[in-house]
Amino acid sequence: MKNKNLIGMFLLSAALAAGVTGCKHKTPMTTPIPDNGGRPTAASSAQPGPGLGESAPMQPPINTQPIALDTGSYSNLFNNNPNENREQFKADTIYFDFDSSTIKASEESKLQEVANYFKNNSKFEGLIIEGNCDERGTEKYNLSLGERRALAAREYLANLGVDAHRLKTVTYGASRPVESGHDESAWKKNRRDDFVLATPK
Amino acid sequence: MKIYYTPILAAVLLGACSLAARADETPIIIQKPTSYVMPISVSGFEGEAESVLKFDLSVLGMEVTPPDKAAYLVSGSQNGRVQGSLTPAGSDHPLWARAYAGGSARSQAHAFANDIVKEIRGTAPIFQTRIAFRAQQGRTTEIAVSDFDGYNPAVLTHDGTLVSGPCWIPGGRGLLYTSWKNGGEEILEHNLGTGERRVFANHPGANLSPEVSPDGQKVAMILSRNGSPNLWVCNFDGGGLKQLTRTRDEDSCPTWSPDSREICFVCRSGRAELQKVSVAGGPARAVRMAGVYGNVTSPDWSPDGKWLAFTSGSGSFTIWVGPAGGGDAQKLVAGEDPCWAPNSRTIVFSRRVNNKRILCLLDVPTKRVKDVRQISGSCSEPSWAR
Repeated sequence: MKNKNLIGMFLLSAALAAGVTGCKHKTPMTTPIPDNGGRPTAASSAQPGPGLGESAPMQPPINTQPIALDTGSYSNLFNNNPNENREQFKADTIYFDFDSSTIKASEESKLQEVANYFKNNSKFEGLIIEGNCDERGTEKYNLSLGERRALAAREYLANLGVDAHRLKTVTYGASRPVESGHDESAWKKNRRDDFVLATPK
Repeated sequence: MKIYYTPILAAVLLGACSLAARADETPIIIQKPTSYVMPISVSGFEGEAESVLKFDLSVLGMEVTPPDKAAYLVSGSQNGRVQGSLTPAGSDHPLWARAYAGGSARSQAHAFANDIVKEIRGTAPIFQTRIAFRAQQGRTTEIAVSDFDGYNPAVLTHDGTLVSGPCWIPGGRGLLYTSWKNGGEEILEHNLGTGERRVFANHPGANLSPEVSPDGQKVAMILSRNGSPNLWVCNFDGGGLKQLTRTRDEDSCPTWSPDSREICFVCRSGRAELQKVSVAGGPARAVRMAGVYGNVTSPDWSPDGKWLAFTSGSGSFTIWVGPAGGGDAQKLVAGEDPCWAPNSRTIVFSRRVNNKRILCLLDVPTKRVKDVRQISGSCSEPSWAR
């Protein structure tokens, strides 16, 4: 059903600019409407919005460099939907402060455990790092923040000697809360990185 | 002709009016009142035509009143087709009378409302445009489209996973959005004519927040392939990939200038703030909005180039509008994720009500809000086709 409707909705456009002027006492001119209501294509000839002030002076450019880390490639073990083991590192989920992607001292021992696993186990396994946020941000902002949180753990693990190509990041923004409440007791559990062990099928 | 003094004065006081008459000329004020609530009467219609007319006019900051309190009188009939006239209060003659044939009573009434608004507000027509948005059911989200007022909705995806950030391709032939259906994020292009989808971007790491430039030539997006979620741009055919920002903290929420030469986005360095960068490259520069507190996110550049609508706050969100170059911003209403209509006056946004999100329409000059017709579930991240 969706395709049929949408073809109609989007392909047709209305010619609504009726040239009707000075017809006070004449028969009304008829404006044809396509069956779907049509869509105007005219660009805006808009009125101004609210009266607001002038520009502020600009700040100097920001030149902070990201920590060099080759995110440009992943190990092949992530191809073809590897098996995902969510239990292996369930106790190692790390948590973040509000609006922060900084690894807290309290979370470092968990990352050390994850790193030790990869030093001592098969090279045919990888790690999916899932970054998550609480609900107190707009969605696109949270998606970037969740990715930054996942990358923070990736950098930390790489610095502990884990091959960065075996570390894949995913962000879920605020779409995968573990607690559905709307207070700090829920939010603090939702600001997290989950670690998922990936094994090729 | 009767002159309506109060609105003209109000428009002058609010700075929405430019009086450029030179001293040696007789000032001629030809100014359509824009920023006050316009009383208007609607008579002779019933059922869907009447409800559409009243809804549409109220979206543009008009208030339906009895004829004796109205500045304009809309009257007409709908015997087989919608026809009607627009008359200024106190005048014996209508400005015009028009009839609308074909389509449904609903679409005829929208067309009539477009003509009324063009006369009274002087703005581009929006009542036959479409919006796209994210619709949530339980733990899954899908992409949906509808008329601007929420009618005629259609859910486009059925992946049972997550999607985010639908963005129209100019001209309305399709959408770009982020999908998680293959595990990690990838950006898909969805052709609305054929229903076909193709992968637009699936770089290692994040592939987020696509925005097609108004000229249709380029796509801005957030990629993390170089180690941080930064702003990138590429040609619409996928070539010419270029990194525009290199901050350690993450960037998000790109929006294009109407001339397709600049991108405004959000940079979190300490707290989230708006920045602008040229597509040609060079340093990003802060866009300071005076009087705004908390994180500033989800900017949307008005099609006329003058304004940035954005969201402030954390958890409790507020919609603001400020000059595109920065300056004094105006606080409008509670809500998030604003997106301008083609008329650079109306905004669609989402707000959280009873643990779900609904879509609403805001008339910026009058700050009046109308909820669109809601589909079930939670709706957010609206994008207005323009």
